[in-house]
Amino acid sequence: MTRKQKRLAVIGTGMGFLALAAALTFYALGQQTSYFYMPADLAAKPAAAGERIRLGGLVEQGSVVRGEGTRVRFAVTDHESSVMVVYDGILPDLFREEQGVVTEGVLGADGVLVADTVLAKHDETYMPREVAESLKERGVWQEQ
Amino acid sequence: MSVELGHFALVLALALALVQSSVPLAGARLGSPSLMRVGEPTAIAGLGLVAIAFAVLTLAYVRSDFSVLNVWENSHSAKPLLFKITGTWGNHEGSMLLWVLILSLFGALVAAFGRNLPPTLRANVLAVQGLIATAFLAFILFTSNPFTRLVPAPMQGRDLNPILQDIGLAIHPPLLYLGYVGFSIAFSFAVAALIDGRIDAAWARWVRPWTLAAWAFLTGGIAMGSYWAYYELGWGGFWFWDPVENASFMPWLAGTALLHSAIVMEKRSALKIWTVLLAILTFSLSLLGTFLVRSGVLTSVHAFATDPTRGVFILAILVFFIGGALALFALRAAALAPGGLFHPISREGALVLNNLLLTTVTATVLVGTLYPLVVEAVTGEKISVGAPFFNLTFVPLFLPLLAVVPFGPMLAWKRGDLAGAFQRLHLAFAAATVVAFLSFFLVDRASALAALGIGLGLWLVFGALTDLAVKSGVGKAGPAVALRRLKGLPLSVFGTALAHAGLGLAVLGVVCVTTLEEEHILTMQPGQTVEAGDHRLRFEGLRPFTGPNYTEEQAHFALFGADSLRRGSIVSSKRLYTARGMPTTEAGIRTIGLSQLYVSIGDETADGGLVVRVWWKPQVTLIWIGALVMMLGGMVSLCDRRLRIGAPARRRAEAAAGEAA
Amino acid sequence: MLLFWVLAALMTFAAALAVMLPFLRRREEATAGSAHDLAVYRDQLAELEQELARGLISRPDAQQARAEIGRRILRLQEEEKAAGQSVQARRAGTVRAIAAAAVLAVPAVSWGLYAFLGSPGLPALPLAARLNADPAQAPLEELIARAEAHLADNPQDARGWEVLAPVYARLGRFGDAAAAYRRTIALAGPSAARHAALGEALVGEASGIVTADAEAAFAEALGLDADNPRARFFIAMARAQEGKTEEARALWQQMAAELPPDSPWREMAGQAAASLSAAGPSEADIAAAQDMSPEARREMIEGMVAGLDARLREEPGDAEAWRRLLRSYVVLDRREEARAALQRALAAFGADSREGQALAEFARELGIDDEGR
Repeated sequence: MTRKQKRLAVIGTGMGFLALAAALTFYALGQQTSYFYMPADLAAKPAAAGERIRLGGLVEQGSVVRGEGTRVRFAVTDHESSVMVVYDGILPDLFREEQGVVTEGVLGADGVLVADTVLAKHDETYMPREVAESLKERGVWQEQ
Repeated sequence: MSVELGHFALVLALALALVQSSVPLAGARLGSPSLMRVGEPTAIAGLGLVAIAFAVLTLAYVRSDFSVLNVWENSHSAKPLLFKITGTWGNHEGSMLLWVLILSLFGALVAAFGRNLPPTLRANVLAVQGLIATAFLAFILFTSNPFTRLVPAPMQGRDLNPILQDIGLAIHPPLLYLGYVGFSIAFSFAVAALIDGRIDAAWARWVRPWTLAAWAFLTGGIAMGSYWAYYELGWGGFWFWDPVENASFMPWLAGTALLHSAIVMEKRSALKIWTVLLAILTFSLSLLGTFLVRSGVLTSVHAFATDPTRGVFILAILVFFIGGALALFALRAAALAPGGLFHPISREGALVLNNLLLTTVTATVLVGTLYPLVVEAVTGEKISVGAPFFNLTFVPLFLPLLAVVPFGPMLAWKRGDLAGAFQRLHLAFAAATVVAFLSFFLVDRASALAALGIGLGLWLVFGALTDLAVKSGVGKAGPAVALRRLKGLPLSVFGTALAHAGLGLAVLGVVCVTTLEEEHILTMQPGQTVEAGDHRLRFEGLRPFTGPNYTEEQAHFALFGADSLRRGSIVSSKRLYTARGMPTTEAGIRTIGLSQLYVSIGDETADGGLVVRVWWKPQVTLIWIGALVMMLGGMVSLCDRRLRIGAPARRRAEAAAGEAA
Repeated sequence: MLLFWVLAALMTFAAALAVMLPFLRRREEATAGSAHDLAVYRDQLAELEQELARGLISRPDAQQARAEIGRRILRLQEEEKAAGQSVQARRAGTVRAIAAAAVLAVPAVSWGLYAFLGSPGLPALPLAARLNADPAQAPLEELIARAEAHLADNPQDARGWEVLAPVYARLGRFGDAAAAYRRTIALAGPSAARHAALGEALVGEASGIVTADAEAAFAEALGLDADNPRARFFIAMARAQEGKTEEARALWQQMAAELPPDSPWREMAGQAAASLSAAGPSEADIAAAQDMSPEARREMIEGMVAGLDARLREEPGDAEAWRRLLRSYVVLDRREEARAALQRALAAFGADSREGQALAEFARELGIDDEGR
C-alpha cells in the first residue's frame, strides 16, 4: 500500500465508524425515547397498546389501593381525565395523594399503565417539570 | 461587619481579575516583561480574596447568620455543624462561589508553579484564566450574589434539603469542580498558544500535568456522585444517565481523549491542531455542564424563559468563550505546522483510534442530553431520552474501545507490530477467556453477554499487568533483575497501567451488577426471612428512633450467612426531617467481600407487614474501587519526574542552547 | 463600622500592591521563551537514553527519535532568529501608562462597585450573639428561637419539648406543635393528655378537619384514659364531620351530662350538641365563643359549621339552614366552600325555583356568586 492508500484506509475506517455511530444514534432516538403524556392527552389521542410512555399528573384523591402484597394501584389525573396505573415495588418517599407524579411504563390493551418507574417530586419545591408545566397550562396547579 | 468584608473581598477579586485578564496580554504584545509578570501576583492575590469571601460565607453558615439571605434560605440552626459547613456549597450561589474559588486556585497554581513556562505563554495563560474569572465573578455578583442581606433578620432558617444533608455531598461537588474547572487550564493553554501563534511538542508537556490533575479529580468526583446517588436515593442504581450526570461525564470523556492525544503531540509533534481543539472542546463541555445545571434549563425550559437573567448570563459566557476560542482556532489553525507521520498500526495509531472512539461517544452523549431540550424548544413536545437510548448507543460504541485498550501501550511509536503485541498479550487474553468461560458455566444465571463482559473487564486488568511485566522484562531476565527494572520504570508507566486496570475493574463491577444482580420485592412480617445471594435476612421489626433534627422508623434485619450463622444486622429506615416535614429513605447497606446487600423499605401494609426491597449486588463496589484506581493512576502519573522539570537554571539553559547550536 | 473601612482599605492596598509588584522589583531580563522549550527537548533526549538503556526501545527507533528531537531543536533556533529580528522596540511610555491605569483601576472598580452592591452599615448577626441578648426585651419569636436552640443541643429534654409544644399551637404553628408533641411522647412516654394535644395540633394543621392521623391520636388518648374530655370532644367532631350527626350529638350530649360543672369542656360539648340540633351556630353560640381562647373558638365554630354542612348533605331541604351555612363560611373566609355549598343548595332546590332564586340573591349580598368567579 502506498502512503496515500494507507491514509485513505484510515480515513475510511474513521468515517465508517462515525457513520455507524450516527446511524445508531438516529435509530435509538427514534426507538428509545418515550413521549410524555398527561391523562387528557391520552384521552384525546390514545397511544398504541404496548407503547412505552411517560405519564404525568397528580395522584388522584382516594385512588391509591395497596394490599395485594407489594402491588399498588392508583390513578393519575389532571382533573380532566384519569388513567389507572399498576406498579409493583416501593413508592418514592414523596408519593402522596394530590401530589405530582411521573410514571413510566408500558400501556396495556385495557388502558392500564403497567409502570416500572414511579417518580415523585424530588423535594418540597420541585415538581416534575413536565407535570408542573402541563398542569399550569391547564390552571390546575400553581406555584406557591 | 465580617459578612460585608467577604462581599468586599469578592468585589475586589473582580477588579483584580480585570487587571489580570488585560495587562499581561498587553505586556505580551508590547514585549514588556514587567507587564507580563503582572499576571502572577494578581492571580495569587485573587485566590486569597476569593478564599476570604468563601471563608466569610462559611462562617456565616456556621454561626447561623440569618441576616444573609443565602444562609436563611439554606440553613437551620439545628443542623449539625458538618452540614452547616457543607451547606455553604449545597446551593446555587454558594456552589458558584466554590466554582470560582477552584478556578482561582488553578490560576494561582499556574502562577506559582509555572516557572518552567516561557514568559509569553505564561502571561497569556494567566490572562485567559483571568478572563474566565472575570466573567464568573461578574455572574456571581450581578445575578447570584451570596452576600445579599436580609433586613430584618429572621430567627430561624429554612433548612437544607435533607437529601443534600449527606457526607457524600460534602466531598462530591468540590471534587467534581476540581475536575470540571481544572480543564479551564487546558483551555487557557490552548487559547494562549493560539494567541501566540506557536504550538510545539513542549506545549503538550506543559499542559499535561494540569490535564492529568483535572482528569483525576473529575474521575473521583464522578465516582463519588455515583456512589452518593446509589446509597442516598434508595433506588439501588449507580448511574441514571440523568442530564446532570451527563454534564460531568462529557468533559470526562473529552478530557480522557485530550490526555491521550497530548501524549502523541508531546512525543511526535503530531495531532497538534486536534489536541488544541480538544482542549477547547473539553472545557466548553464543562461550561455547557455548568450552564445546564445552573441556568435551570433542565428543570424547565419554560422557567428558563420566564426568569432568564441567570440563564442568559451563563449562556452569554458560554457563547463568548466557546465562540471566541473556536474563532481564534479557525483563524490560527491553518498556520500551525503539521507534525510527524506514522503508520496506522503504531502507538500513535492506537491513540488516534482512542480519540476517534472517545469523541464519538462524547458526541452521542451530547446528542442524547440536548435532544429533549431542542425538541421541546422547537416543537413543544416533551420527550425523555433515558437509559435505553444510552444503552443502545453508548455501550456498543464503547465496547470496541475497551477491547483495544491493552494493545495501545504494547505498540511502538511510528510503526508498531500488532502480531508481536498480541503475542505478548496472549497470556492475558487466555486468562480472561478462561475466566469468562468458567463464569458462564459455573455462575448461576450468567448469560453469554455477562461472561463476555467479565472477560472484557479482566482482559483490561490482565493487559495492564502484562504491560508492566513486559516493560520490566519478566521472562527475559531473572526475577531479581526484573524487579529492579520494575522499580526503575517511570511513574507514568505505572500510572497508565493503573488507569487501564482501574477501567477494567469498573467494567467488571458494572457487568456483574447489571447482569447478575438479584432483586426481591416483598411484604415481610416480623420474623419472616428472605434469601438474597447466599445470604438470608430476617425481619426483626420496626423501632422508632430520634436523631438531632429528624425522627425515623428503623426496620431491623438480622443477617445470616450461607452457613446459617448470624452475621450481624442491617438497619434501613424511613426518616422524617422535622423542619421541612420531609421524608427520606435511608437504605441499609452491608458490604460482604466486594458485593453488597442493599435493603430499602417502603410503606407498612394494612396487615402489619412492611414492603421491603432487597438487592444482592455482586461485586458492585468494584465500580467505585475501579474509579479510585483510575484516579490513583492519574495521581501517580502526575508525580512523574518528567512533569516537574522546573525552569532551567538560566545558565544551564544557555549552555544547552550553545551546545545544541 | 470603622474597622470595616480600615480593613477594606488595607485589602485594597494589598491588591494594588500585587499589581505593582512586578514594577517594584529590580529589573531582570526575562529568559527567552526558547530556553524553556529547549529544557523540555533536552529532557526528552535524556529520557530516550534511559529507555534505550532499559531496552524499552530498539536502537534504530531510538536513533530516529533522537533525530526527530534534534530537528525540533533546530526549528526552535530558526524561529528564535526570525523572532529576534522582529522584536518590537519597547515603548516605555505606553508601558508606564498601562501600569498606572491598572494600579488605579483596582481601587476605582472595587470601591465603585461595592458602593453599588454592598450594605456596609449592616453588621453580622450570628444567632448565638442574638440569643445572648437580654431576654426581657426579646419578642416572643426570639424566645422560641432560644428554646429551639436549647433543644437542638439537648434533644432529649422532654420537658423542653412539652413546654414548647403548646406555644407553637398558640402561634398557629400546628405542624411544629405536632412534631413537638410527638417528641414529648417519644421521650417522656405516652399519656392521654399528650396524645389528645397531639391530635388537636393535627386538627389545627388540617384547618379544623379531624384527619385520620388526628383521630388515631385521640383514640390512643382514650385508650389511656377513657374520660379524656379533649379526645372525646374531637372524636365526636370527627363523627359530625363524617355526617354521622346523630352519633356525634349523642356523644356530645353524653359529655355535657357527665362532666363536672366547672369543666370548660362541659359547656363546649353542650354548645356543640346544641349547634347540631339547631343546625348551625346561633348568634348566641358565636357570642359565647367570643369569650373563649382564639383556638378553642375557632375549633368550636369550625366543628359546628362542619356539622351543619354534614347535615345539609343528608337533608338539603332547609333553606334557612343553607343561609346559615353560607354566612358561616363567609365569616370564616372560606369562600371556596361557600361557593360549593351554594352550588349544592341550588342543585337541591333547582336554580329556577323560588327558594333557589332567593338563595342566589342572598349569596350575592354576601359577595358570593354561583359563576365560580
